[in-house]
Amino acid sequence: MSLFSRLLSYLGLKKKEVNILVVGLDNSGKTTILNNFKKDEDKSQEIVATIGFNVESFHVNNLTFSAFDMSGQGRYRNLWEHYFKGIHAIVFVIDSSDSLRLVVAKDELDLMLKHDEIASKPNLPLLIFANKMDLRDALSSVRISQALGLESLQERPWHIQASNAITGQGLQEGIQWLTEQLINQKK
Amino acid sequence: MYHKRDKKDDEDLAIAGNIFAKITKTSALQDARSFNETPVNARKCTLILTKILYLMNQGETFTTQEATDLFFNITKLFQSKDTTLRRLVYIGIKELSKIAENVYVVTSSLTTDMNAKDDLCRPQALRALCHITDGTTFQGIERYMKQAIVDKNPAVASAALVSAHHMAKNIPEGVKRWVNEAQESVNSDNVMVQYHALGLLYHIKKTDRLAVSKFLAKYAQTGLKSPYAILMLLRIAAHLYSQDKQNGPYLSFIDKCLDHKSDLVCYEAASLLLKINCSTPINTAAAFAVCQSGLSSSRPVVRFAAIRTLNQVAMLRPTLVEYCNVELEHLITDSNRSIATLAITTLLKTGQEASVERLIKQISSFMNEISDEFKIVVVTATRKLCQKFPRKHAVMMNFLETMLRDDGGSEFKKAIVDTILHIIEDNPDAKEAGLAHLCEFIEDCEHTNLMIRILHLLGKEGPKTSRPARYIRYIYNRLILESAPFQAAAVSSLAKFGAHCEDLLPNVIVLLRRSLLEMDDEVRDRATFYLNVLLTKQKSLYNQFILNPLQVSIVDLEKSLQQYILDPKDTPFDLKTVPLATHPQNNDESAKKPTVNGMKPSSETVRVTKTAPNEVAETRRAIYEEQLAYFPEFEEAKLGPLIKSSQPVELTESETEYVVKCIKHVFKRHVVFQFDCINTCNDQILENVRVSMQVPEGYRKVCTVECPVLLYDAPGTTYSCVEIVSDNVSLYVGTFENLLLKYIVKDCDPNTGKVLDDEVGYDDEYALEDIEIVWSDFVQAIIKPDFVSAWEELGPNTEVAETFALQSFKTIDEAIKNIIYFMGLAPCERSDVVPEGKMSHSLYLSGVFHEEDEILAVAKLAVTNEGVTMKLSIRSNNLDISNFIVSIIA
Repeated sequence: MSLFSRLLSYLGLKKKEVNILVVGLDNSGKTTILNNFKKDEDKSQEIVATIGFNVESFHVNNLTFSAFDMSGQGRYRNLWEHYFKGIHAIVFVIDSSDSLRLVVAKDELDLMLKHDEIASKPNLPLLIFANKMDLRDALSSVRISQALGLESLQERPWHIQASNAITGQGLQEGIQWLTEQLINQKK
Repeated sequence: MYHKRDKKDDEDLAIAGNIFAKITKTSALQDARSFNETPVNARKCTLILTKILYLMNQGETFTTQEATDLFFNITKLFQSKDTTLRRLVYIGIKELSKIAENVYVVTSSLTTDMNAKDDLCRPQALRALCHITDGTTFQGIERYMKQAIVDKNPAVASAALVSAHHMAKNIPEGVKRWVNEAQESVNSDNVMVQYHALGLLYHIKKTDRLAVSKFLAKYAQTGLKSPYAILMLLRIAAHLYSQDKQNGPYLSFIDKCLDHKSDLVCYEAASLLLKINCSTPINTAAAFAVCQSGLSSSRPVVRFAAIRTLNQVAMLRPTLVEYCNVELEHLITDSNRSIATLAITTLLKTGQEASVERLIKQISSFMNEISDEFKIVVVTATRKLCQKFPRKHAVMMNFLETMLRDDGGSEFKKAIVDTILHIIEDNPDAKEAGLAHLCEFIEDCEHTNLMIRILHLLGKEGPKTSRPARYIRYIYNRLILESAPFQAAAVSSLAKFGAHCEDLLPNVIVLLRRSLLEMDDEVRDRATFYLNVLLTKQKSLYNQFILNPLQVSIVDLEKSLQQYILDPKDTPFDLKTVPLATHPQNNDESAKKPTVNGMKPSSETVRVTKTAPNEVAETRRAIYEEQLAYFPEFEEAKLGPLIKSSQPVELTESETEYVVKCIKHVFKRHVVFQFDCINTCNDQILENVRVSMQVPEGYRKVCTVECPVLLYDAPGTTYSCVEIVSDNVSLYVGTFENLLLKYIVKDCDPNTGKVLDDEVGYDDEYALEDIEIVWSDFVQAIIKPDFVSAWEELGPNTEVAETFALQSFKTIDEAIKNIIYFMGLAPCERSDVVPEGKMSHSLYLSGVFHEEDEILAVAKLAVTNEGVTMKLSIRSNNLDISNFIVSIIA
């Protein structure tokens, strides 16, 4: 509560709207993560593979998020770039138990960060959810950040957060970091 | 902040005035970028999107790139919760789905909306969804569609059913799986849902006649609530009945519906009963009573429906419709012009000879007030009337002429000219008057093709009238006043006058001399050509080049020249040496098609379909020629140009493992058999597929082209080429026996279509039916516009005559149909139409054998007690051929 009131005073009671892009390989848990942020009555009971994209909106603290939940399947990944314009943050979701495709995830991440639209905004925050941390063979977030080569990102603010989208563990912490980043930038 | 911005927008609007007045595509596309703004300004975006949709509906074209960019911009609007904007987004998606790429990107967004709570959006989202779904995304949405079809909300269910119907076009297999859901929806309480569900159900089952008739019986018994659904059932029943006349239940169902409480259903049932030809007198009377009572209804719609049906029926059963002449007379003064027009035309169809003049007078009084479409209806009715009462042609000619002078669209004028042409052809008395009217018409005519047709007709008919000289002035006027196409047509017409009438020849020569100095090449060339022919003063040359050109009409000549320019061949366009390769092929098909389908080639259908089949035939030939040219084997064989391709003949039963069809391509000295094979076994792959056959005397086998692989359900083609060795015409005709389809079979996995790993395959063969090469495969049917002079030109010394008794035919019509089909020749001078009730008839036929020898035939037919007797005389360049024809008929 104290944090909330502090933010209110920072921002002068205004609500902010931000667009975030949620990407990642297929079956990494993007739609499930977003489902967790929704109000209880809006939550969908079963999650199916997204075709194309979905728009979800939710409130955290004093920010209204419009999240573009992109499909992660191979044939739809080239559509991500259509939504790079006008976004305020990127959320990249990784299936920590899928060590085999970690390299594919790295490729996709690198490709995205090299895109003109993203590369021209070096302070665009990047939040990485190392999802499915509850699984037995899940890699730790440190291992993943090494595998993705996140250390080499110089300017860009980034944060990796281990999470479990089904129980909601770790999600709030991650989005909290993102909120702070966005509020700091807006100031 | 929001308020402020909205206010500003309002001001913008006020200043702009009519917002749709000055929109350009560029500015609209520019504006569409603001869809990317955060947060989305719903009001502003609504306006921009409306503008874009307006542009699209005005016919503005978007390139794929533009459309795709626009589409992705629009997808950003899914952020907004505004209902109006969301619904506009759906419309935008639907419009762009045809041009933009990657439209499936919105699939998930739409399925989310489909299941949202907002009832305003759900049906719309569904309708948009069916436009962007293809085979790859189908599985993802299938579950949602199934749910939506049985949704409690009728709007959603209806939308889902209609969308399913649309999707069935692209993904028929998938939609078939929804049959249970559709069945459930048929039981819905909602009128529209029931109708749509029935529609989908029928669509899914319509290929299976047994299933359709089962479900028809089921629903006819249980009784549906929705009148629309019953309407649909009625139409299905009528359709089934028309295919299978024996089946009584359909008819009794339609009959039962005559008493339905909805007048919609009653009317439909009545109208169907009247249109089905062989319903019994009892139910016809009942159906008729429904229409009759409709005539005096207070609602214009019902009156219109009733009169429209009666109008259609009037031709088939005039006596029946005559009963309500009293009501019809009342309707002539109906305030609704459409009803009045139909009433009059119906009366015209049923009317007596005495009342014709009065009716015509009544129509002329309001002819100017009705639309072109109904004017055409009036014109067709007049044509029918002329056939019925030939003596009244003067009245009708005058009537038609007044209409011809009035304003009207090209279709309307065409209908009139067609009618006049018909009257002239059918009724020699009306010829001179009709020609005079047409001459007046071309003095001030803006429709190119009509004018050219009339000029051609004048050239054909004018010289045979009592005073040919009078037409020359009209034709020459065109030559002086009009543009090149008309001049060219006029020159040809003039030449015909010169060729036909000795006394006019000097005058015509003078006129043609003047035309030698025309600006246009075509006109000048024609004038020069005709002038030189006329100066030779040789009848046979006249016949060959002026009276009987190989083309049927000037329009066609123009077309074939154009074609030659577009697709130049190595040889120059020479009428003498290549005529049959370039042009007459067209006639062949157009004249032949109706007979092949087993229909009587009535002059009307030939006239109407003349242009369409020409193009079809031409492209068909071009396609085959291109296909054949692809194989080096055929190039070696030096086939030359393709003369004729036959219709496909099935060599197997339709439900067997392999379906094989054969098309015979006839060349100068070769025949190529094209075998189109389909493998219907999904666990087999055939390799090295070829056909072996026993070649009859007179032919020599040249080569075969194998089909390397024949996959499941994918057509493959193999060819066999034989050479015609003998010069003896009688050996041209023969039967190719012992046809065997030979191949190597390999078993494969039915799901993947891949050959099993250790499979080596084994040789196998499959027996096919024999192929016959018949006489008509070599004959091209070509119409001689002036049969008599061509007949005389060939002379009696090539004639072969024989008399036959054709016992299998009962009527002349039947005999003619079969003779034309068998001989493959084209009927000339409209001699294939027999006036009713005549006991004898002469049939004129013409054609070309094997691209070189002309054949003309006169068949005199007479009905006797034992069928039809035919005296057939044949003249040809080649006496062998004449003899041969007679021998094969015998």
